[in-house]
Amino acid sequence: MVLPAIVLFLVMTVYPFAYMIYNSFTNLDLSKSGTGQFVGLRNYTDIVRDQLALSSIEFTALMVLIAVPVEMILGLALSYLIRGLFAEKALRSLFLIPMMVPAAVGGFGWKMLFNFIFGPINYFLNLIGLQSIEWFGKINTARTAVMIVEIWQWTPFVFLILYAALQALPKDILDAGKVDGADGWRLFLHIELPLLRPILYVTLLLRIIDVLRTFDSVYMTTYGGPGSATSTWSFYAYKVTVSYGWNIGYGSALCVILVIVSGILINTLTRVLNIGRELGLSKE
Amino acid sequence: MSRRNVVRLIRFCVALLVLAIFLFPIYWLVITAFKQESEWFTTPPVFWPSKFTLSNFLGTGSTTFGTTTTSIAGIVPFLRNSVVVATTTSIVSTIIAAFAAYSIARTKIGGTGLAGWFISMRFLPPIASAIPLYVIFSKISLLNTWWALILPYLVPTTALSIWLLISFFNEIPQEIEEAAYIDGASRTQAFLQVVLPLSAPGLAAAAILAFIQSWGEFLLALVLTSNASAQTLPVYLGRYITGWRVAWGPLSAAGLVTMLPVIVFALITQRYLIRGLTLGAVK
Repeated sequence: MVLPAIVLFLVMTVYPFAYMIYNSFTNLDLSKSGTGQFVGLRNYTDIVRDQLALSSIEFTALMVLIAVPVEMILGLALSYLIRGLFAEKALRSLFLIPMMVPAAVGGFGWKMLFNFIFGPINYFLNLIGLQSIEWFGKINTARTAVMIVEIWQWTPFVFLILYAALQALPKDILDAGKVDGADGWRLFLHIELPLLRPILYVTLLLRIIDVLRTFDSVYMTTYGGPGSATSTWSFYAYKVTVSYGWNIGYGSALCVILVIVSGILINTLTRVLNIGRELGLSKE
Repeated sequence: MSRRNVVRLIRFCVALLVLAIFLFPIYWLVITAFKQESEWFTTPPVFWPSKFTLSNFLGTGSTTFGTTTTSIAGIVPFLRNSVVVATTTSIVSTIIAAFAAYSIARTKIGGTGLAGWFISMRFLPPIASAIPLYVIFSKISLLNTWWALILPYLVPTTALSIWLLISFFNEIPQEIEEAAYIDGASRTQAFLQVVLPLSAPGLAAAAILAFIQSWGEFLLALVLTSNASAQTLPVYLGRYITGWRVAWGPLSAAGLVTMLPVIVFALITQRYLIRGLTLGAVK
């Protein structure tokens, strides 16, 4: 009875991926007839010399290095803020809403907020005496804007996991800590944080795997601009292939590398989660 | 009031403030969907419409912005596509996943390796499916059809549902099935008449999760469909956004239509959603 699932994944994932790997060694270009010849590793060596590709990979890496840690810290802070408050269950549910909004819709909402003239964000900045910012006009502000959208959408996810993990901390260990005189920061740093470490690691992996595929929010807000400052790995692969470039060979090479990077992280994740034990398939 | 209570009150106020910031983009989208045209673009921005109008939805407003984006009266085919694609994906993926999950839960077939392989399908970057599928589907003339979306959507949805359902089936005591065998039921009968009814909540949760995932999907829909005969709501939203000055009212209305079912479903199935999204890291 596992057969339908296996067939599905073979046909819809393994076969397209194999085809993509094959394409990545050819010069297949949908806008030119007679292409599709074998070109060896040329597409891969081209990536290293392609400034736009490197900048897209760089921005994706920046998201991993900046947006993800901010999400982790904010999410952790939020889970402590909400814990034990009046109406905490209702607060939790409300905080989840951003991550449930389809990314395309969220992106459009933020595009309005960031508008230079009519957007509420610049209005609030003016209220507290700051200059309006041309959010999508400059490299750094545009990159910040895209990261803000990501952080807005996914901090609730981090919060959710860590909040649940906090509830599940073993009471006796915490009480023992309190008896020994630990409180506030000391309790957090020496007892709670070490207990949370495995779940923090899982959350971090989940977030990195997801950030690597950032596309919707970029498409809906900056469209990769200005220039290609906010183009992400996925977005650039989209542009060189099915958007207007039609260079399937080159885009495939970009995707193969992305899949390899994601694959390593996914593999780490499934090992950390200990799927076998979790599902009762093996004892260890 | 004791010091403890003061601290808690301050924490509560901070929490409300942070919540207000997090919900503001959604608030803005919702009120903009009901603003009349004269209040879309104003300085200072309008934070509470002077008059709530439905013209952004129904197309009864004025037409200073030209005919394409003054209302979302043209949204109907996209809504239909979204409903068909998400519903079909949801049903088919739940069936495939239920079979796979049941045999894995009961026979441990394939062990950790197979289960891990299944689950990893949930995380692959969609752009890496979109590009080869575009070429393959164009060869077999499948581009711009419902199936061009349903087929790739089945992958992450089925993967996630398999995970969810294995733990559901694990929770159903095997003794109940054994009792059915003693009463002379075959394996299929036991599955259909004993296990399925017991796992109905799990199946429903898996189906709703699959629905949510495919409803909001953007990249594959953008690449694999090209017009109203198959494009879904997120693409409808994306199509009009790249212009220099897009009509905020109708687009917000479209955004509202796109996100409403998902948010409602998601809030109902919160617990399972969480379990699914975090791969069991949170129970």
